[in-house]
Amino acid sequence: MRESSDSAVIAASLAEPGAFGVLFDRYGAVLLRFLTRRVQPADAEGLLGEVFRVAFEHRAGFDLARESARPWLYGIAANVVAKHHRSEGRRIRATLRLAGRGVLGEDPAELAVRAADARAAWDQLAGALDSLPGPERQTLLLFAWEELSYEEIAEALGIPLGTVRSRLNRARSRLAGASASPGSPPQTPSVREAAHDR
Amino acid sequence: MTDELDPIRRLRPDRLLPDDPPDPEVLSREKARLLAAIAGQEENPAAAPSPSIYPRLAYRDEIAALEFLTRAFGLTERREARMELAGGWLAWLQLGDGLVMIGRAGEEHHGLRSPLDAEAATSMVNVYVGDVDAHYARAKAEGARIAMEPEDMFWGDRRYEALDLEGHRWHFAQRLRPR
Repeated sequence: MRESSDSAVIAASLAEPGAFGVLFDRYGAVLLRFLTRRVQPADAEGLLGEVFRVAFEHRAGFDLARESARPWLYGIAANVVAKHHRSEGRRIRATLRLAGRGVLGEDPAELAVRAADARAAWDQLAGALDSLPGPERQTLLLFAWEELSYEEIAEALGIPLGTVRSRLNRARSRLAGASASPGSPPQTPSVREAAHDR
Repeated sequence: MTDELDPIRRLRPDRLLPDDPPDPEVLSREKARLLAAIAGQEENPAAAPSPSIYPRLAYRDEIAALEFLTRAFGLTERREARMELAGGWLAWLQLGDGLVMIGRAGEEHHGLRSPLDAEAATSMVNVYVGDVDAHYARAKAEGARIAMEPEDMFWGDRRYEALDLEGHRWHFAQRLRPR
């Protein structure tokens, strides 16, 4: 069973609006995951609806020469996140804390020796990510977290390919100072902390 | 892929925490809202079933299973809830007010095994349908292996049993007596 292309679905939705539901079927779960990575999970659900309402209203502007609507939808979602954005760092640090509560059920024998240092390094990296200029963080996270290609990022954000490259390079060099390559996974130190709490 | 962005990759929240799938309710609800908004209607009150208990079945090939269960057993996929993950798809299928979740078998997938690997079925899914003979005819025509032919049971059901592609056992019944 061959599915119709995204552009065919969007073209159909111009005359028959209900057809737009097919795009939700294809990308609702993908975008919910994207949003959940970037904002508090409770906010992500509401923003998902906003992304698709915006997409529906602007569907006439979709370039029907493109097969896939994925980059276009990512671009809309990235905008919604940027508007909603309060503190990216807070989202990540909250996750670091959660991961630290021992919910992962690791083997205590694998505890790292320099646990506290590693935790501090991860915190520092989260802070550095948060203090990146918005467009650089957006580009970096579409690349590193969503695994979009340079071409898809350019399409999503409506910027030239060269700008994608230069933003990634700038973000890399800004982070290079902060990251100091945290060696052990962030959950390792926190397990020890959790053990101490008990 | 390992480079200087690796620490950033590892900061991704769903890498830090176990990657459990989101509640399919969220996606079903948001889709219903979207469609209602598009149609200019009040919010659609007809919600998808959300039973308090539903099983998760594991398959070596969950994509083939999804195709088979919809084609042969007449289950309907909640398409908006499907997650096409690199490590295996997750899908939710419904029939009437019942729901099953299917995913890939394996140690990394909650340790669930396919009957093909376990060499045994260790559970059975019970499903009530409106017309069990029509259901049987369809399942058989679509290649389901029949484990028990349709039969009237003394407690008032007519039922048959079938196996899906990997040997999960399904029991389909019709209530002959009005309840």
